[in-house]
Amino acid sequence: MNGKISYERVLRDYLTGELKALNAHLPARQKTLADLFKEEYPQVLCNDGSVHLFKRRELEYIDGLLDGDERSRLLLPILIQISPDRSEVEAFCPGMVEAKVIQKVIGMPLEVKSGRITLYRRQLAVLRRHLKTTTQYVFAPPV
Amino acid sequence: MPQLIKVTRPTKIELIKLRRRLSLATRIQKLVKDRVSILVMEFLQIAEQTVQVKRSMLEDFASMYRSLSVSAGYHGYIALEKELIASEGGLDIAAGLRNIGGVKIPAFELKKTGKALRGYSLTDTSSWLDRTAELSEKCLEAIVELAELQRSMAQLGTEINRTKRIVNALEHLIIPGLQSTIKYLNMKFEERDREEKSRLKRVKVLLERK
Repeated sequence: MNGKISYERVLRDYLTGELKALNAHLPARQKTLADLFKEEYPQVLCNDGSVHLFKRRELEYIDGLLDGDERSRLLLPILIQISPDRSEVEAFCPGMVEAKVIQKVIGMPLEVKSGRITLYRRQLAVLRRHLKTTTQYVFAPPV
Repeated sequence: MPQLIKVTRPTKIELIKLRRRLSLATRIQKLVKDRVSILVMEFLQIAEQTVQVKRSMLEDFASMYRSLSVSAGYHGYIALEKELIASEGGLDIAAGLRNIGGVKIPAFELKKTGKALRGYSLTDTSSWLDRTAELSEKCLEAIVELAELQRSMAQLGTEINRTKRIVNALEHLIIPGLQSTIKYLNMKFEERDREEKSRLKRVKVLLERK
């Protein structure tokens, strides 16, 4: 290429870089609500080495929505996937506890399909208003 | 009218390369557009919350000062100062980061001391001072929350501006440029085909004449 960087490589590098930057904050490992309550400063380690801090007020709010041993089954932060070309987003619910929390926060029953809940942008706004630090965005690569 | 990208040679290989570039640029555009929409949604929410917190903080400050002036009148300045010096203490603020669509924004939380007593004598003071202390703690919490919200708003605003510039460049310059270059090359190839056909016809006529 005579020392020149190809145009495609620039675009490809930009796309990869953008995806990496958008998803760098994803937790290396999710923690249960019960574990987070034991910590003085509830936090999780992210993939980029940074630390994501949870607000105790939010954890207490979620705790108020749960019964019995559910706090030891709820994995935080709850991941919300943004897919291109779709106006809806998907929240990951590996256990049904996440679904319960989302339904209670939004205030309506929602269908869980293969461990995911489909949310409209308006519902997402409500969810994010209540659970700022206990939810995180995942950006899916565009096809 | 978008500018044409300079193509060194109008060949099929160049056309394939351009199509690949267009598909990549479109993918980037989709991703960046999604990011902008999420950032704008978060920005609007934070702006709304900032207004609410600021309004309630001002109300709390007003009632706190009212309560403080009543207690100053009740106890006298000297006695009140003596009690307040005893109640001075440090603050514990948990500070961290959270990430919204690639933007790192601060998260602050005032740690509650959990102390039942605030440091001043309960026998020498009235409930007015308790009320003042309670309201000032509420104001302190609001200040910390407002600091987080305002900083988040500034950072999100800067990032929205930067990302919007990228979206605009892709939408109005890069993608239309690539599309028109592809169109130009397609037309060139069609023209070449037509030229080839007419040349062959001409050759056929010449051969028939012989």
